[in-house]
Amino acid sequence: MKWLTTLLKWVLGVFLCAWVGQYLLALLIPNLVMEILYQMGGAEVGYNSLSVNPRPDETSRQVVRPSPDLLYANCIFNLEQGPLAIEAPVPERYWSMQFYQMNTDNFAGITNQRDESYRVGTVVKVTLIGPDNNPGDYSGEVIQSPTQRGIMLLRASGIGDDAKARAALDKSSCSPA
Amino acid sequence: MPTKNLGVIDKMKMFRWIAAALLTLVLSAVLMVRTIGTGLSAMSAQNGNWVTNVSTGSADAGIMLKATVAVGGLLASTRENSMYYRLNSVAGEPLRLNCRYRIEGDDYDADWWSITAYGWDNYLIPNRLKRYSFNNENILRREDGSWVIHVAANEQPENWLPVGPSGAPTWRKLPDYDFDLLLRLYTPGRAYLEEPQSAALPTVTLEGCS
Repeated sequence: MKWLTTLLKWVLGVFLCAWVGQYLLALLIPNLVMEILYQMGGAEVGYNSLSVNPRPDETSRQVVRPSPDLLYANCIFNLEQGPLAIEAPVPERYWSMQFYQMNTDNFAGITNQRDESYRVGTVVKVTLIGPDNNPGDYSGEVIQSPTQRGIMLLRASGIGDDAKARAALDKSSCSPA
Repeated sequence: MPTKNLGVIDKMKMFRWIAAALLTLVLSAVLMVRTIGTGLSAMSAQNGNWVTNVSTGSADAGIMLKATVAVGGLLASTRENSMYYRLNSVAGEPLRLNCRYRIEGDDYDADWWSITAYGWDNYLIPNRLKRYSFNNENILRREDGSWVIHVAANEQPENWLPVGPSGAPTWRKLPDYDFDLLLRLYTPGRAYLEEPQSAALPTVTLEGCS
């Protein structure tokens, strides 16, 4: 009977560790997925520069669940060399600028909707600074990233005539400040 | 006890530890994949057949939700910018390619909304019309403003949202559904932010299977 008790303890121990282990593994997933996107995307379009993407369709397989109703542009950023200057004309229809850190958190965002509808027709100028920079040292609209690396994503409504949305993305930029 | 037997016992103990470590790792991975595979349903607000999570994209999202979003909804925004309601089953039955579904709705308190069909692989479904979604502008409406979307593999009247085999090879398929639907509400109103489980949403019903 001793061997049975030992076996039961062993099996129970494995299950308990596996139960905890799934959460430890899950902790790694967001960073791993973002790292792959960061490395592959950066190798394809470069870092600290804006890339305007074609309208999503069935061949769009870089990022899961793209919206076919939106136009996208992204800037894969690395702030180790200093802040970035981001400029983007704001079209009349839905538009947003979202910032993601390497664990997938959407840590900041700007939009042209509701309380921020005053931005329509303006050019948003953002200085994106790293976690070690002091926001007080910069003027204008400043966004501080909690991590040195991440992704900035521009979304613009592509519903109907998308000429204005596309023009707005084409005129946007992301470059060292 | 002879030294030779002690060596055998040590080896047995080492084998047990290695086996336990490997089994723990494999079981951890299986449990995690199973949790992520169930999508948001285990950790979210249910509204009819639709499921959402108000923490998507935010720093206060739990470990499993972040992992789920990383795998099935990377670069999702926080709820103030957009809310995502997902549907992969009707009355407990997974969405199937051999069935026809009817989505009925109206307008919703959001800057704009869309309903998109995704394959089980989380990408847009190949189809000859290159039609992947309907939104509040391109949908055909009845006189009273309401609308109906027919989701099916074969051509349907009015608003037909085509579905079909996903682009990924079938040996990679883990979920029990063939495709799912994603309702996006951009800049949603207070009802969605505060009571996501009861706010107005389209209804989805099964029309029949072949």
